[in-house]
Amino acid sequence: MSFFFVDPEIYEKHKDDVLALSQSIQVNYPEHLPPDQRSPALSDRQIAERLGLDERTVREIRCVGEREYYDIEEYDRAAIFKETQCRAYAEKGLSGITAKYVERARAAKKD
Amino acid sequence: MTAPAERMSADNIKGELLAFAAKGGALVAGVADANAFGAAPEGHRPGDLLPGAKSVFVVGGAQPRAADWKSPHASFMETSSTSDRINALGLRVANQIERNYGYYALMVPAGVDRGRQPFVSVAFAAELAGCGSKSIAGPVLNRDHGFMYYSALITTLPLPADGPLEDPVCPAPACVDMWDEHGTTPCLATCPIDEGGCLGGCIKDGRITETRYDRARCTTRAQTYWAPGFQQALQATLEEKDDAKRRMIINSSGFTRTLWSMTYSNVSQGQCFECMRVCPVARPKHDLR
Ligand code: SF4
Ligand code: SF4
Repeated sequence: MSFFFVDPEIYEKHKDDVLALSQSIQVNYPEHLPPDQRSPALSDRQIAERLGLDERTVREIRCVGEREYYDIEEYDRAAIFKETQCRAYAEKGLSGITAKYVERARAAKKD
Repeated sequence: MTAPAERMSADNIKGELLAFAAKGGALVAGVADANAFGAAPEGHRPGDLLPGAKSVFVVGGAQPRAADWKSPHASFMETSSTSDRINALGLRVANQIERNYGYYALMVPAGVDRGRQPFVSVAFAAELAGCGSKSIAGPVLNRDHGFMYYSALITTLPLPADGPLEDPVCPAPACVDMWDEHGTTPCLATCPIDEGGCLGGCIKDGRITETRYDRARCTTRAQTYWAPGFQQALQATLEEKDDAKRRMIINSSGFTRTLWSMTYSNVSQGQCFECMRVCPVARPKHDLR
């Protein structure tokens, strides 16, 4: 094949590290947070330097890893999530979404 | 070429451009300093795309209509996209800068680069241009209009920058009250990261102090029927050995919808709006008769 793709063994070996360093799950990522509180993701080049790989390989591992992070079942759940939330909001307004939190908070206060 | 801009002050040019953007349909517009993007990743700052960049001009608008938010059909907003309208306006402002003032103006593409990163974060540009502030749910919210789409262009034209808002729009006062009472906000309650969703965070003294965001899961919801959904469906098709089952996958409603969505769309799609649907910012504008 004429386009570059990453060797599956290299992918498996480094996938978890690359996804962690590139923050597939972002914690305190936004630019507006104070610098001492922020934890932005590393760039592909920074990850490459840290793992001893080249930047292009890291980019491919990240791109494939992000796609494979959740499987096709999650896409099905995604469609159901949207239908459920949208309908709950249309029928009951905000209380359709937040009722369980209000109940939880009430229960916690009673305890 | 003698640029007419040389005979005009930067303030006057900015005024003309803001008026041009408003006439073209922008709800908001502003200017960010091209050198203020230090918090952006290397390679994704204005000067990386356009050497000598001085300003980033941002326009915002093309909101979903109130009726779009009201519809009980999630697939309605999943299928509608209005972001192309604001990108068209951004392009017109870029043309205006090059033709009328004689400076380079590079429109930030709505898509992503080879590594699936934005060329320059338009959300960050909108924030630095004072159009709104980044919410705990992600989108930049404008105080008067709430959620909207943004387009940005990078230019060598020096313009006075507006700078970020001092007082953030998110969390809204109603959300601060809700956080204090129930430990959540409407958007966090809709898509809680600890219960199979994407959003988490903390509010202290009325300000966002922590954020958590499951980008990969949000992709499954915001791009269910777009490129990522197609890649998943294609993978399932190729792995399926049984001819009959393979036919069922290829002709399934999900696969068909993905193809429909991809072939009818030349813009980035955000197919999930559930965290924004419940957001109280500019809510009265959604309440019509
Ligand atoms: S866009 Fe959808 S999936 Fe993403 S954070 Fe908002 S509600 Fe969750
Ligand atoms: S609902 Fe809107 S204003 Fe409230 S916390 Fe979420 S994004 Fe911010």
